[in-house]
Amino acid sequence: MSWLWRALVGPVLWGVLFSVVYGLHGAGCNLGWTRVPVLFTDWHHMAMWLAWGVGLALHVVVLRVVPRGIPPGRSRWLIVAGAWIGLVSSLFTLFPVIATSTCL
Amino acid sequence: MTFTPPADPRAIAPSEPMVDSLDIAANPPRRALRLHRELDDVWRDEPGWKGFFTSVNHGTIGLRFMVTAFVFFAIGGVLAMLIRAQLATRQGAFLDLDLYNQIFTMHGTIMMFLFAIPMLEGLALWLLPKILGARDMAFPRLSALGYWCYFFGGSVIVLSLVFGVAPDDGWFMYTPLSDRTHSPGVNADVWLLGVTFVEISAMAAAVEITVTILRCRAGGMPLTKMPLMGWYLLGTAVMMLVGFPPLILGSILLEVQRAFDWPFFEVARGGDPLLWAHLFWLFGHPEVYIIFLPAAGALSTIIPILSRTTILGYGAIVAAVAGLVFLSFGLWVHHMFTVGIPHMALAFFSAASALVAVPTAIQIFAWIGTMWMGQVQFRLPMLYIMGFFATFVMGGLTGVMLAMVPFNWQAHDTHFVVAHLHYVLIGGFVFPMLAAVSYWMPLICGRWRVRGLGEAAFWLILIGFHGTFFLMHLTGLLGMPRRIAVYPDNPEWEWLNLISSIFGMITAAGFALFAFDVAMQWLFGRRSWRNPWRAPTLDWAMPLPAPSYNFASLPGPRHGDANALLPLARGEGLLPGAPRGWRETLVVEPGSGRPDHVAVLAHSTSLPLLTSAAIGSFFAAMLSGFYWLAPVGILLTIWAAWKWGDIMGTDRDHPPARVAPDLDLPLHFQRRNTLARTGTLALLLADGTLYASLMFGVGFLTVVAPNWPAPVSGIATLQNVIAALVALAAMALGLVASFRAETARTTPIGGTWALVGLGSGGLALAALAVLAYGLDDPTRHARDALRGVVLGFAVFHGVVASLLALRSLADHRQGRVSATRVGASPIWQLFQMFWLGTSAVSLVLIVAQEVLS
Repeated sequence: MSWLWRALVGPVLWGVLFSVVYGLHGAGCNLGWTRVPVLFTDWHHMAMWLAWGVGLALHVVVLRVVPRGIPPGRSRWLIVAGAWIGLVSSLFTLFPVIATSTCL
Repeated sequence: MTFTPPADPRAIAPSEPMVDSLDIAANPPRRALRLHRELDDVWRDEPGWKGFFTSVNHGTIGLRFMVTAFVFFAIGGVLAMLIRAQLATRQGAFLDLDLYNQIFTMHGTIMMFLFAIPMLEGLALWLLPKILGARDMAFPRLSALGYWCYFFGGSVIVLSLVFGVAPDDGWFMYTPLSDRTHSPGVNADVWLLGVTFVEISAMAAAVEITVTILRCRAGGMPLTKMPLMGWYLLGTAVMMLVGFPPLILGSILLEVQRAFDWPFFEVARGGDPLLWAHLFWLFGHPEVYIIFLPAAGALSTIIPILSRTTILGYGAIVAAVAGLVFLSFGLWVHHMFTVGIPHMALAFFSAASALVAVPTAIQIFAWIGTMWMGQVQFRLPMLYIMGFFATFVMGGLTGVMLAMVPFNWQAHDTHFVVAHLHYVLIGGFVFPMLAAVSYWMPLICGRWRVRGLGEAAFWLILIGFHGTFFLMHLTGLLGMPRRIAVYPDNPEWEWLNLISSIFGMITAAGFALFAFDVAMQWLFGRRSWRNPWRAPTLDWAMPLPAPSYNFASLPGPRHGDANALLPLARGEGLLPGAPRGWRETLVVEPGSGRPDHVAVLAHSTSLPLLTSAAIGSFFAAMLSGFYWLAPVGILLTIWAAWKWGDIMGTDRDHPPARVAPDLDLPLHFQRRNTLARTGTLALLLADGTLYASLMFGVGFLTVVAPNWPAPVSGIATLQNVIAALVALAAMALGLVASFRAETARTTPIGGTWALVGLGSGGLALAALAVLAYGLDDPTRHARDALRGVVLGFAVFHGVVASLLALRSLADHRQGRVSATRVGASPIWQLFQMFWLGTSAVSLVLIVAQEVLS
């Protein structure tokens, strides 16, 4: 089972990150975070950027750490593929947090 | 390991062996006929009508699922023809509006819930043990229970049409149209209760498929080498475990609202119809992939065989399946682009909807590449696969169009969407299923088909389908909305609709001819020779038609493909025959496939039928409005569940089973990590998703629904605080007791701990009853109603955990535990942990609500 978990940790992280950012989006709109300025933006954008950034960093960690100790071959290939699927999915599906308006 | 090339030079050699090299010697050969008789005595169904009601064999149940699904498909098809007859002219008077509403609702409901899902369940139940090298599914009684729930639930839904009370609010049952105010009859109740009843079969199948794939493969078959069908069905089953609970929750909430006026979806009292839409599509979109993946599994199995080569890109396909499984849960809002959602949320789901095309495309290219590499034989299954390509790819492309928000806003709720979904579902499921049936029919009935009929049916279906639905894109782009019965002011739609209707009738004729062809093959086809497609997979390593036990001896390191047909029949594989007179199959470690123990499976029994009748009595009481009778159904179900566990376990230690000359394995009674434990973990994954969906509902209504904050609550009393703390403490004590009952099982203290667990469960339930008494009126506001549901969730799991504690106590009293036998404790521990964990989260949530308000 440990092999299966290793192969799926990337997509699972995407699922968690997607839920967190989507949840922050809903909560921020409800709690009025867009009206709280932070640096050059607002707290709503900042919270989602932070979550996204931390999530992407975790994906990179997964990509580097999870395949360790698995000999080359199909088993390792699938683990690496799973890690890339998670990273690319998080990068692409949450990309809108960079610029899109939030609560309109 | 010795890997011998196929004896038949025309057979396809696997690109690499499907099983790993393990040092397990072959059993000595025996007389195949004697082995057959020994096994058939144990595995065959009981004769006559009794056998019909008591069968639990995967071959029988799987076939029964598929035949029943095709019967419902025919009924849904007739309804489709009625719809087309009505729409053929702009002022059609064929159906009145009420009946039209019922018919289009029933068409969608039947096709999705009574055909597509059960069909894939049936295929999985019938095929999986054969292609993985097992004798049956992991939980044969669960297979039968699922079938009876499906049969009874589906029959009620269909019969409602006969009595004129069929659901009439669309197959997605949107609120507020489906609430008591706008749908006062029982029509919506039929849908909510009937579909939920049917979904029991889906959940049962999902648990079974997951466990079977992870634990019941051929000895030495690692996950990374199992047939692609296994990966596809594993993905499907996990998606069902996670995808169905939101709909089950939504159906429960809506039925509770209709029955008891708890306002989950009513805006005036803090509810929101959008919550229903979210819960429905949280299920509904993954459902598309739940339907597609098994079909894709059939394609990945059949294409290389009929191209006389091996699949191109096994690893890429497995990765694509994993990607699809996850990404498909990030798409549901694209069904709701027009409901008024902020731009950023639209963008998340639009991006995910576009991205999901990538893993789909990887599979398409892998299939095309496989065909390019090989020599394609245009036999009947391959014709249907060509139909799949021509249809599904177009559906996929219009899907990408609809994933783009601006286009979606224009095309939403038009016939363009109707065309798209039919291209996806018929292209992505029906064509591959027709290919699968054509391909596996010799294994089902042992006969070869009658030449010519199948090809004629294929062309009728292909031409009829595209004639019907291609034009529907244009009808939709011209603005024709869905679900209308007449269009007197739009003559420009009429010729398109008329042509669609004519081709619809041609499609129907094609399906009728397909059914006729299958019947002819079953009744009059000539005897098929073994492995007629020269396939390498294990499903063909058996006589035709497939015997009740599949393999006289099980595939393993020395017998890992269809080439091993004769050695397996002679008992040279693992675990030959049925020396103890029990139904036994090999259980392996999930990842490596290393043999772990031998599971003793259930014999024929009427318990699944009785259990489904008990569950059905609850649904019948709810449907008929006799709510006071519903507890009787619950008690009957508890009784059946108790009987279910009563015949598990054993009161003595058994010697190990001889699997191979140098390999003896324990029976499952003497193992802790059994199929039942893996199944419980799978079930709790679904259960956890249901709970997460409930938490999503709480969060969604709190931050999105109008008419919040809720009125001041009166639950923050000392009595309630004490009751909540007592409940949690009692649950924690029960958890300790569940572990101590196992570790001290060889002493009388073990039984005492089980008794403590039972008592603490009772105490926790009593404390929850005090909390229930102290709740705010749940009809006042959605927040209060949701708290009632959260409490009900805890009570339900308390009852289950207490029953398991009682089972553990009975195990101790009846001598069903020993140093090597652990009884029900491991299962009890899992449920107890889940009960405690979810209850603690619920308490934190409610406290947070009170503090923050």
